[in-house]
Amino acid sequence: MLKDGKGAVPPPTRRRFLGAAAGAAAAAASTPLLSGCGGSAKADGKRLTFWNFYGPQKNPDPAVNAQAKWFTDLVAEWNATHEVKVDLVFVPTGDYTNGFKVPSAFATGSGPDIFLLSPGDFLRYSNGGVLQDLTPHLDDGVVEDYGDVLNSRMVDGKVYALPMEVEPLAMLYDVGAWEKAGLSEADIPTTWDQLLDTGDKLSTRTRAGFVVETNPGYLQNFMWYPWLWQGGGDVVDAGGTVVFDSKAARQALQLWGDAVRHGIMPRTLPAAGDVVSAFKTGNVGMWQMGIWQVSSFKAYAPKFKYGIFRLPVPPGGKYTTALGGWSFAANAKGGNPEQAAEFCGWALGRTDERCVDRMVQWCTGVKSDIAPRTSAVERGAEKGGYDFWAMKKFKDDIAPEGRAEPRFPPVVYKAVSDAVQGVMFADKGVDGAVTRAAESIEAFMKSYQGASLI
Amino acid sequence: MTSVAAPGRARETDTAAPARPGRNRMSRKHREWLAAGLFILPDGLGLLLFVGIPMLLSIVLGFFQVSGFGSYEWVGFGNYERMFQDPMFWESMKITGIYVVVLVPVLFCVSLALGLLMKQRLPGTGFFRTALFLPYMISLAVVGLLWKFMLDDQVGVVNKSLHALGMDGESWLGEPALALGTVIAIMVWVMMGYYMIIFLAGLQEIPSEYYEAARIDGAGPWTQFRSITWPLLKPTSFFVLIMSTVAAMTGGLDLIFTMTQGGPANGTSLAIYYIYTQAFGFGEYGYASAMGSFLVLVMVLFSAVIFKVTGSGRFDDDR
Amino acid sequence: MTASNPVAARRRLTGRAGLTVLAVLMSVITLFPFLWMVTSSFKTRATVNDGKLIPTEFTFDNFVYVFTEVDFGRYLFNSFFVSAVITVVALFFHSMAAYALARLRFPGREKIFTLIFATLLITAPVVLIPLFMVVRQLGMLDSYAGLIVPAIFNAFGIFLLRQFYLGFPRELEEAAIVDGCSHWRVYWNVVLPMSRPILSALAIFFFLANWNAFVWPLVVTTDPKLQVIQTAIAQFASQSSSNYNYILAGTMVAALPMIAVFVFFQRQMVESIKTSGLK
Repeated sequence: MLKDGKGAVPPPTRRRFLGAAAGAAAAAASTPLLSGCGGSAKADGKRLTFWNFYGPQKNPDPAVNAQAKWFTDLVAEWNATHEVKVDLVFVPTGDYTNGFKVPSAFATGSGPDIFLLSPGDFLRYSNGGVLQDLTPHLDDGVVEDYGDVLNSRMVDGKVYALPMEVEPLAMLYDVGAWEKAGLSEADIPTTWDQLLDTGDKLSTRTRAGFVVETNPGYLQNFMWYPWLWQGGGDVVDAGGTVVFDSKAARQALQLWGDAVRHGIMPRTLPAAGDVVSAFKTGNVGMWQMGIWQVSSFKAYAPKFKYGIFRLPVPPGGKYTTALGGWSFAANAKGGNPEQAAEFCGWALGRTDERCVDRMVQWCTGVKSDIAPRTSAVERGAEKGGYDFWAMKKFKDDIAPEGRAEPRFPPVVYKAVSDAVQGVMFADKGVDGAVTRAAESIEAFMKSYQGASLI
Repeated sequence: MTSVAAPGRARETDTAAPARPGRNRMSRKHREWLAAGLFILPDGLGLLLFVGIPMLLSIVLGFFQVSGFGSYEWVGFGNYERMFQDPMFWESMKITGIYVVVLVPVLFCVSLALGLLMKQRLPGTGFFRTALFLPYMISLAVVGLLWKFMLDDQVGVVNKSLHALGMDGESWLGEPALALGTVIAIMVWVMMGYYMIIFLAGLQEIPSEYYEAARIDGAGPWTQFRSITWPLLKPTSFFVLIMSTVAAMTGGLDLIFTMTQGGPANGTSLAIYYIYTQAFGFGEYGYASAMGSFLVLVMVLFSAVIFKVTGSGRFDDDR
Repeated sequence: MTASNPVAARRRLTGRAGLTVLAVLMSVITLFPFLWMVTSSFKTRATVNDGKLIPTEFTFDNFVYVFTEVDFGRYLFNSFFVSAVITVVALFFHSMAAYALARLRFPGREKIFTLIFATLLITAPVVLIPLFMVVRQLGMLDSYAGLIVPAIFNAFGIFLLRQFYLGFPRELEEAAIVDGCSHWRVYWNVVLPMSRPILSALAIFFFLANWNAFVWPLVVTTDPKLQVIQTAIAQFASQSSSNYNYILAGTMVAALPMIAVFVFFQRQMVESIKTSGLK
């Protein structure tokens, strides 16, 4: 507790209370071991920790190993040229995104200096005051180069997280199953009715016609939002008014609910959620999925024939999709927030060729993603990163009219999730589900103090 | 148990030495007090430090609004007020109630039956014991994964077998009520070998002479069970009952994680899962601590009742 | 007794046959999913969850991978070391405490027991963060001590052992005490040897619980050298691919030592009952 920050000993605020209580208790009950404890693990600010779910690690998937290498190379390059060193800490994906470790560390003030942040978590972290302003560490023109992608990572015109990738959602389908069901490329659905029709034709006892995420969670909401947006609906508008109770929300819920009730959409994920093997073993007709699967197909089922099409639209609707993707963020309450922010800026926010190439390498070399910066998309295209048909499709057809994954705080997320789950699996009426969700979001917004939800 | 002997021997001299000079002066009663104190000390300290203090801190946390990033704001009973008005919490308590009320008796009966079966010294009993205990040896996460494979709607072996028998398959994890039942069944599958071993240990405590005497008197298996096994097994039964209840109320998180994530439609959102989500998913540590403390209180009341009824689980006349 | 009554003997024989069939049946029910895991660990990634029991494409690659590409030996050692130390120390402490609570007479005994028992009711996710703070204040983060020490103290063992000691014949200890033995000697020479069956059962439980521990090791360590087997297995899954084939192979490898431990201790359980000569 003595060495919380470099030169800046924080006042004994209440946030230190628990640490102090724990310390006092521990000291009373055993030998005093207080010295050197508390605060960030690397309290002297000379070494920064970078928690991530990519590296260093060894993985059976060569693509994952390449991703791990990208991270270790990145850090090695930084360490070779900077005085303050960065140490990578690998946390397995499942535990990073949905586990105990990261929250425990942040809650006790021993969070990492640099970390990866998902859109769904952005507001929670931002409102918690742990995100360091990255704006001063970006080269001129970088904000413009990022463009709209950055909006959901900004508060009051300042950048608090730097996206490393953009991951749009589309519909993936099994070409073999398609043909067996007597469908041709001309039958690719463009409306919701056609989608249900096609799903029905593709459904057999062992094949699910049309799969969406079934588990409750941020991922499911992420996959559902485009269906809401296509009808002109939203959860909250830019002014903070709750607009969830709408025809658009009702029809989007109805679509998923109907699909489940008619046996077109399965109630659980085929093959325990393993997309590639579910397709390969013929258990799926269509699956709403992200661009990240392109590299998985390349690695594990290179000969498997699949197709991609835009999410169909409702009558009178307008096409859009949701764009996910993680970003780098710096811990404002860490040992050395300035240098942590500098690292993020150096890694992703420079205009020099090296930095742009780095992003190109990440998005098209070791992963299959759209680059968040226009310059990186162009450079990636020059280098042939989008020559592969699936990548080209995502870049030119799927992504352009997309919208960033929302950054709604937990209560809003949960209200939407309960509505989706209730309609899909508990035969809850659409009207009731929408009203309930809208009510609880409204109640929350009344007392919400924090950055804008949009 | 030779492994225990090494550290133990060293201790023996430590504790025996100071006790000896006092032997003449200290009364037998006081020596017993002292011995008891020393015997309990290591565990007592450890429990205080690693369970007691964290629990106290958690109770304190329940009176704060916590951001999840180290900022605390005193809210008094605010979290508890919120809890009483939170329909999701009460829904999760209801689901927990159903889960406990079904799981505990089923598990009790199955494990006891298996324990009795394993006591028969059947041929190959070692194999049976190992087989029945096997599910407990795999981590719950992998158990969940295996069952997910087998319960797959389309290609799972369970539904395929039902199809082969001309029946319709079910979405075992896709219907809220069914999913809860499935989770309970899997939990029984996992835990029955575990409690079987505990029952077996208890059964082996019962002197075989009793049974021989009963047999000579012409008592059948049922009479033997009722008049010898059941009464003498009471301490074990009490233990199993209370432990499985506690485990049911506070455990199973890993299984829910891998299998349902609380879904479908919150159908398997046990209280403990809801508390986990609030704390680690949403960063609402204060609120989660309040709910957690409440859950502990419920269990304290519950066990107080059991303790009252059974006299602290003492079934001998030495009180 | 049985020899004198052939009818009863035959009836008992058929009864036993029936019970054996029942035991076989129950074992098959429990073994089947396990069998599923065994065969699936020999499947390729693309077919691992194809719903078939027999692999269509049989492969050893998953195991080769687990042993050659990942430092599984080290993780196995870590898990073994951590679980073994916890088990031995915990059994020792718990049996001492339980003996005192069950057998010694002292003021406040019931109150202390109630308090110890109450710690069982505490839910892990709720105390995780405060526990993390305590362990950090003790300087035990990222160390074997952090993995081991907090896991030793658990009232489960005390409670079970106390139940066991409550059923002990008092005469034995009293004879020893009259002989002038200290309480320590009674415990060490009389009580502990007689506890072998229950300690063997507990040893299995403790070892297994810690072998399968996941959340605490994950939270308390970041050093890859301190990784335990369960967190290592969790790493096989990546963001876009679940790699169930490697997870199952890793789990198989992790389960084999456990089966060995179980077979060993369960023999202890049975043998010690035979030799204790008490019953």
